[in-house]
Amino acid sequence: MSNLAQARLHEERKQWRKDHPFGFFAKPVKAADGTLNIMLWEVGIPGKQGTIWDGGVYKVMMTFPDEFPTKPPKCKFDPPLFHPNVYPSGTICLSILDEEKNWKPSITIKQIVLGVQDLLDNPNIGDPAQIDAYQMYKNDKHGYERKVKQQAVERRPK
Amino acid sequence: MSSDGENDEFLYEDEYDDAFDQDDEAEEIDSMSEPDVYDALSPAIEEAPQKKPYDVSWKVKTLQEITDMQNKEITKIQSVLEVPASSAAILLRHYVWNSEKLQEQFWNDPAAALEEAGLSPPSSPTTRTSALPPSPNKRSTRSLRAGPSTFLSKRTKSSASIGPFECPICCMEFDGPSVDVNTYSMGCEHRFCKDCWREYLVGKVKGEGESAKIQCMESGCGRIVREEVIDELVEKDVSKRYHNLLNAAFVADSSTLRWCPHPNCEYIIQCTQAPARMLNQIVPTVECKCGHDLCFGCGYAASHRPVLCKIVRLWEKKCADDSETANWLQANTKECTKCQSTIEKNGGCNHMTCKKCKWEFCWVCMGPWSEHGTAWYQCNRFDEKSGIDARDTQAKSRASLERYLHYFNRWANHEHSAKLDAEFYQKTEKKMEQMQNSGNLSWIEVQFAKQAVDVVIKARITLKWSYCMAFYLKRNNMTELFEDNQRDLERAVENLGYSLEQNISDTESIAKLRQDITNQAAYVQKRHDILMDDTLKGYLERRWEFSVDV
Repeated sequence: MSNLAQARLHEERKQWRKDHPFGFFAKPVKAADGTLNIMLWEVGIPGKQGTIWDGGVYKVMMTFPDEFPTKPPKCKFDPPLFHPNVYPSGTICLSILDEEKNWKPSITIKQIVLGVQDLLDNPNIGDPAQIDAYQMYKNDKHGYERKVKQQAVERRPK
Repeated sequence: MSSDGENDEFLYEDEYDDAFDQDDEAEEIDSMSEPDVYDALSPAIEEAPQKKPYDVSWKVKTLQEITDMQNKEITKIQSVLEVPASSAAILLRHYVWNSEKLQEQFWNDPAAALEEAGLSPPSSPTTRTSALPPSPNKRSTRSLRAGPSTFLSKRTKSSASIGPFECPICCMEFDGPSVDVNTYSMGCEHRFCKDCWREYLVGKVKGEGESAKIQCMESGCGRIVREEVIDELVEKDVSKRYHNLLNAAFVADSSTLRWCPHPNCEYIIQCTQAPARMLNQIVPTVECKCGHDLCFGCGYAASHRPVLCKIVRLWEKKCADDSETANWLQANTKECTKCQSTIEKNGGCNHMTCKKCKWEFCWVCMGPWSEHGTAWYQCNRFDEKSGIDARDTQAKSRASLERYLHYFNRWANHEHSAKLDAEFYQKTEKKMEQMQNSGNLSWIEVQFAKQAVDVVIKARITLKWSYCMAFYLKRNNMTELFEDNQRDLERAVENLGYSLEQNISDTESIAKLRQDITNQAAYVQKRHDILMDDTLKGYLERRWEFSVDV
């Protein structure tokens, strides 16, 4: 495991504890024996107020590669999310998370989670990742909104 | 495509021509003339040196010359726009080396042109016209001298002179003079430590193969990293690869340059006479200094004359993909008229029962079996309309498959034979030795055999492509003439091939054989030139009609 990646992630952790956007959570995953796995984070992203996503907190698993921050983390909704830009596996299709597109080593975890939150209500229709949500979004807006709202209720934190 | 754009391109290429006028002549002679060692012996096989109307002229360039071409253009822009060389390079690459468009945009709105190309920070709109943000080296020294009040606000915009600096990427801390030594920021003032820069640049160059579009590491900052910065920050091998990638991008972006496609060849071909819109009239075959032929139009790694690039592409695709499998299915199978399952009949009577849907029908007329009444096992409903239609489509697709196979088999045969002939070289060499020993002929006198093999191979490759051509030609009188020429050449080639395989018994027969082969080779060469000449001229005269759109 790369020292650079670990150092950066520890620092990210420090910064996050100092200050983070309201309603979000982000923490490295604890292994069974109680040790912290700094390369795997569990992140909660709340739907923006006033949108159809409001009320739900959507869990994302962030896997950081050894080459981080040269390479972006892999972000995956767990469980997979009904959203046009989320693959059936849960993987998020977002330009700032793509090494060949807009990923830059200076992008912080905070920027990523805010970017994902923004994506929830502003899907990129030019880049669909799953058929169900994409087709419903295009052909049946009402059905789409109903399904998203229902999902928000299901993902309400207990 | 607008004609304006193309004219622009021509103007821009002409400038290159001027630059390399001195070595042009020498090179042109190189590429035009054939080795003429044996000409005295068999003048008939000699190739006509004059340029045909369908030929193109070209130059073979080295990597160094390509670099010089870019530098010349960069120097020009540098002095016209009064910007540093590296900025001129970034601008030119952004405008895909179209210096006219660059100048137009630049004089229109210099700040916008610079920003679009990634030369000024998008966050701070600049109104400077000619002066660019100072070069990176100057910047870092100046920021050191600047007072503490100059840079403060942003996380990444920390000043080199004050306080400790923490690299926002690796979170390492730097203090005092080590800030200047170990960290670096471009004109956009996003500062990072040099280790992170190095890691990032190596990843971009080696991992992703990027060159001209490597941006600042700050998210959202579109500033392009300059050449000299990369050269200074990374190891020699990475910077070498970076410059190779820049050259490759330059060649790829230019419509008049093409890499030689042969393995390990590093030459670049320059040809201004084969723009894309001309490719329906000419077949720009050129020869690289590495000794191999290639097509300048499509990059095919051999001559595909006399066939147009587009037809070659169609043909290769047709041969490679499974469109012919579909054709076979159509020709050899029928579909159940009810559930559309594909059925191949491999025996038995005409009373078919579909295995899948249990539908009973007649294989001959494709109608339902129940209508056949008592006429068991012989169909007398041949004239029914539905039956005729079903049979017609099948006959058509069968005919089309047969037609394709006819041309494909001949095409493949000639390719195969050309390969065998290449192996035949060795046998010929042995035979030549034998002739020298038994026939008291000198080395130079037995070269006729080798030359004849050359002629055969060349003719076979042309024949091979002529079948591809014939497949796509519409049936008309011109096509008849084409096929007559093709037939003559084919016969001559086969005869010569046969003679070449003859055994040599005594001195007398050698003399006769030599005479025979020399004559035949000359004839093949002549038939070959006639076919080639007529076909290529036919494009210019728009004589050929194809069954596909070219």
